Amino acid sequence: MERRKLKDICLTCISLIALVVLWVIVSNSKPDFFPTPQATWERFLKMAETPISKTTIIGHILISLKRVLTALVLAVASGIGIGLIMGWSKKMNAVLGPILTALRPIPPIAWIPLVILWFGVGEFSKVLLVFIGAFFPVVLNTATGVSMVDPMYLNVGRVYNANTFQMLCHVVMPAALPAIMAGVKIALSSGWMVVVAAEMIASKSGLGFLITRGNESYDVALVLCGMILIGLVGAILSAVFTLMERWLCPWMEKKNG
Amino acid sequence: MKESEKIVSSVQIEEKKRAKEKIQLFLISAASVIVFLGIWEAAVRLSWVNSQFVCSPSEAFMAFVDKLTQPNPDGAVLGVHIWESLKLALIGYVAAAVIGVPLGLLLGYYHTFDKLVNPIFEIIRPIPPIAWIPLSVIWLGIGTTAKCFIIFLAAFVPCVINSYTGVKLTNSVLIDVAKTCGASRWKIFITVCTPSAMPLAFTGIRVALGNAWSTLVAAEMLSATAGLGYMIQQGRALGRSDIIIVGMLTIGVIGAVLTAVLNKLENRVIRWRAK
Repeated sequence: MERRKLKDICLTCISLIALVVLWVIVSNSKPDFFPTPQATWERFLKMAETPISKTTIIGHILISLKRVLTALVLAVASGIGIGLIMGWSKKMNAVLGPILTALRPIPPIAWIPLVILWFGVGEFSKVLLVFIGAFFPVVLNTATGVSMVDPMYLNVGRVYNANTFQMLCHVVMPAALPAIMAGVKIALSSGWMVVVAAEMIASKSGLGFLITRGNESYDVALVLCGMILIGLVGAILSAVFTLMERWLCPWMEKKNG
Repeated sequence: MKESEKIVSSVQIEEKKRAKEKIQLFLISAASVIVFLGIWEAAVRLSWVNSQFVCSPSEAFMAFVDKLTQPNPDGAVLGVHIWESLKLALIGYVAAAVIGVPLGLLLGYYHTFDKLVNPIFEIIRPIPPIAWIPLSVIWLGIGTTAKCFIIFLAAFVPCVINSYTGVKLTNSVLIDVAKTCGASRWKIFITVCTPSAMPLAFTGIRVALGNAWSTLVAAEMLSATAGLGYMIQQGRALGRSDIIIVGMLTIGVIGAVLTAVLNKLENRVIRWRAK
């Protein structure tokens, strides 16, 4: 076992070293196309000191995060509510289902022109776009989760004379929680992607803006720094979410083995 | 009445009830759509909302009919935009599926290979494909290649991850049976692990399709001279909400059609799962 672990660590190191070596070779042969690791690191340090477009790098990260999290909270709250209603009542599902089915296949990014036309390029537009990206996965997963609750649980609830509110809170919600959490997870990664896209297309702040700014000023190192930061923050967000999921529904762990 | 007849008649009653409920639900759906469109139409006609911001459904329909033959104001008829987008999406997407699925399967099966490639993959994975657009434009220019590359990236990741997980989740009893029967490692991979990973691999392929399609729109909005994303971006520049809405709906409908085609294909490939 020990030897195997050692071998794994070695393999990981080899692959990371190979990546860095490849980066050095490619970037040294064509520095205009791809910045060298040193250039990227220097650009990163410079970025940490001097503000870009009057906002520090921490400021850009926080602005992007604020947009995503505001929209995510709104999308999760309204999405779970509407999803519960749709999964619980066949009639409400018939009312809302067709409209949602018609809107769902439109990618959130395709809403950008219309939303900008309606609300301009302000903060509200960006939050709305992320909301659109996050809302559909939450609604659909909640509705599916609720309609797939084991009928046995519902019958037990009925035998104990639970009213609708008790049924929803104590039987349906806990049973559907894993499906809902899966939806929120999709919403999180989709929301992060949408905020980057929205900031790239129309914004003066945020991590997506850094990439566009680097692109416009032929500063490839800045583009790369922006990409790395976006990947890093996205990875941290999804790690935090996984921890939260473990805390909210600990019984999932056993099921997944 | 005999006992058996009673049962039959109660089954029939139950079936009738269900059919009635189905019709009722369908009517509710139809009514909801009509009410939705009606409110939308009325809101524009009675100028509850500014007609510059949103066109009525009837205007959108007229714009759609118009766009079939009329290249103005964005330079191409709808068919050309659709063809341009589909071409890009399918090239990038098919390449991603053809490379990504086998790679994921191999990664899931061969431990050494997995440990070697996984770290690189984990570094690249969290970067949204859209963030690659400027870099790929610098590398590959603003032509077809750059856009295909971005779509490839968007579709590649889910294909790999799901095929990988599919192999990892193969029932170990099946592998043991194959080993007992004297199958070679390669044979186990081809005849046991690959088929058992197929349902999950198809989930990945389906997710990849959605990713590819929405990334395509973003890529075309940022740099293109034709295509559906370009069309809606032009619609915004010209302040033509009817063009934007026609474009959005076309994007949605084509996305839905592609998904439906893929589901048909999936049912054909994974016949055993239907049982």
